[in-house]
Amino acid sequence: MFDLFSDIFTYRDNALTRIDPRVKLVVAFAALIAVVTAEMVILPLFVLGICLATVAALRIPAKLVVARLAAPLSIVAVLVVIQTFVTGTTPLFTVTLAGWQFTAKAEGLRQGTLLGAHVLGAVSVVFLLSVVTPAHRIFQALRWFKISRNWLEVAILMYRYIFVLMDRVADLAAAQKLRLGYTARGRAMRSFTTLAGATIIHSLEQSQRTHDAMRLRGYRGTMPFGPLPAVSGRDRRILALCLIAIAAARLLEWGVSG
Amino acid sequence: MRAIDVTGVHFTYDDGTEALSGVDFHVSEGEFVAILGSNGSGKTTLIHLLVGLLKAQTGRISIGGREIGNLSAEELYQRVGLVFQNPNDQLFAATVEEDVAFGPRNLNLPETEVQERVTEALDAVAALLLRGRAIHHLSFGEQKRVSLAGVMAMRPSVLILDEPTAGLDPAGEAQMMQLLKKLNREEGLTVILATHSVDMLPLFANRIYVLDHGRVLQEGPAEEIFCHQEMIVRAKLRLPYVSRLMYEMKRHDGVPIDGLPLTIGEARVQLLELIPKELIIAELEEKQA
Amino acid sequence: MIMHRRKKSARIRRAATVAATAGTLIALPAQAFAMHISEGILPASWAVLWYAVAIPFVALGLRELQRRSEELLYFKPLVGLVGAAVFIISCMPIPVPTAGTCSHPCGTGLAAILIGPGLTVVVASIALTLQALFLAHGGLTTLGANIVSMGVAGAYVGYGAYWIIRRLGLPWVMAAFLAGLLSDWATYAMTSVSLAAALHGGGSFSAMFSLILIAFVPTQLPLGIFEGILCVGALKFVRSRKPELLRMAAGGAA
Repeated sequence: MFDLFSDIFTYRDNALTRIDPRVKLVVAFAALIAVVTAEMVILPLFVLGICLATVAALRIPAKLVVARLAAPLSIVAVLVVIQTFVTGTTPLFTVTLAGWQFTAKAEGLRQGTLLGAHVLGAVSVVFLLSVVTPAHRIFQALRWFKISRNWLEVAILMYRYIFVLMDRVADLAAAQKLRLGYTARGRAMRSFTTLAGATIIHSLEQSQRTHDAMRLRGYRGTMPFGPLPAVSGRDRRILALCLIAIAAARLLEWGVSG
Repeated sequence: MRAIDVTGVHFTYDDGTEALSGVDFHVSEGEFVAILGSNGSGKTTLIHLLVGLLKAQTGRISIGGREIGNLSAEELYQRVGLVFQNPNDQLFAATVEEDVAFGPRNLNLPETEVQERVTEALDAVAALLLRGRAIHHLSFGEQKRVSLAGVMAMRPSVLILDEPTAGLDPAGEAQMMQLLKKLNREEGLTVILATHSVDMLPLFANRIYVLDHGRVLQEGPAEEIFCHQEMIVRAKLRLPYVSRLMYEMKRHDGVPIDGLPLTIGEARVQLLELIPKELIIAELEEKQA
Repeated sequence: MIMHRRKKSARIRRAATVAATAGTLIALPAQAFAMHISEGILPASWAVLWYAVAIPFVALGLRELQRRSEELLYFKPLVGLVGAAVFIISCMPIPVPTAGTCSHPCGTGLAAILIGPGLTVVVASIALTLQALFLAHGGLTTLGANIVSMGVAGAYVGYGAYWIIRRLGLPWVMAAFLAGLLSDWATYAMTSVSLAAALHGGGSFSAMFSLILIAFVPTQLPLGIFEGILCVGALKFVRSRKPELLRMAAGGAA
């Protein structure tokens, strides 16, 4: 039910997990911009290829890759269909469905495919980032980028307690199921709202205990953050190299597409 | 030197529940004291008063000779540390290192000292290897030890633990108690633990307070506490299993047992004295050799 | 949309069939769409624009957080925990009879009643960031748009409905139901706007908007009602067990 985060890979030691999170964030951001602004499918698909190859090289289980990419893939399929049949002017072919005729159009197909490529390219960039950078490193990096401390503090607590509450809610849900709480529709509804209510109660009570524990260790309203070391020379070179490569790819595409 | 003095303390919750009524509780520096009581006996209320999470309506509480109300939060938390029963209450950062560093960073220590304290605290609870791990990837026993490290990093002289062994497997329980014993005997920390599990206590605690319905029923070393069978039952507690066995043998079978052994070791010595030598194989083998 | 009508007599029946077919075809991925706009769908210009709309609301929420946590030291842990709870509630799968699949509630209406709309936007922005980063739901480039539809529209519409109905002296059950219902629908309406803006290409915006909205209807109509019931049921549960917690969450401010 709650098999949500699989951040176990981010704690492995490999060439990518060792890179400073700030560098990874900047590179990912640049890659996202390049993908989203691409005018031909080739650049996003190239990015997709690189990311998937890297993910495979890191030996991330294919199951996880499929799980993460399934939703975006179905979105891509719908995008292509919608765009093909709804936008554009040059007819390609016509489908008859339940007495209605739908005409596919060339511009729509092109537009849909491009959008689909954008989605796949962008999703793969973020997916790669997410399997080589643990959440707390991203929070640290965001702090360096001057993201609001309050936002980060709430984010850290949220991230941590999602796991705690998840365990408890899974137990509650299992207990409800054992007592046949989800059989009839009406009862299922009540079980569901009870579960949600219990989650809220748990969370509010937990917040009191957590705050007590924080206070006992000197919390005075602001969570302290450790310093972030300077970006190493090696990571700086990686950053420069990646940015140049991305910029070059983007410019090349721009030149080709005119 | 007195580490903690609680005199005539009453505490009533907002909903009218009287949790403590006239409690006296004294702990000397370097002692290992257990607060023994059933659920709802008031032991959690008492330890929450000791760390300032609650304020007593009447009575006096002083920590290291100073009235608790006169201590600043910073002073108080460097004198007494509380380890919660549920590690999830206390582990709120993403990684072990960040969590243990939380306290020292709140004290505005320079980063080198923060790191020093983290290393020291993790070392003290045998968790150095967990340093870079995510909290949500730890086992329950590991979480318990890391939450202890988080408190240790504040370098309190009094360590208070709420049910430190609850939920641990037997090996984890033994490890936790050995750890506390080491901190107490070697590092000189005053240790106070609130618990309702009686089996381990005689091995570790210098003194025990038995709490029931917000009152101290009895106070003293384990030998004294556990000879009051009716009092123990009244407090909804029990004797350690080994003592119970010896007690029953004495009462029902008339086995001449001296006093009441509280640990396996003591019981073994007494039983060996009662068993005829020719039945003890180890002794026979020794004789033959 | 070009649909050539053939026989006038069968028009209505066919329209119904097409709507149903299109509904089921689009419903499944529409869930993923509907919840959050996927990474990479929005053109850069739109992505930037939605960020520009979202940021002031997040900043407003953060200011409120700062103000209230100065008065109440426990407030940030509280917001974090409520956020975690709402995140989990929004992950609970609920069967949607019309689509034959599972969907998820948003939980924003509920959050807005608990901690107010400003802080709900903050919590939503964090939840969306976590989902974009670690679950490939939504996205970083579409974060702005998603904050606007789920956080801003959902929270303020939901809270607004709740506030007005309470002001009128009507029962809280009705207020909570409408808060859940309207926050859900507002989220989807807003999502449809941003999707249509991105997808209409050379064609008409309103045609694309209506197409997307219609595609959402078969799932979102019941889902909104469900969300209303969820809001009432969950609040009723908390009110009956621990009413003091609701006062604590409101922090004396609401």
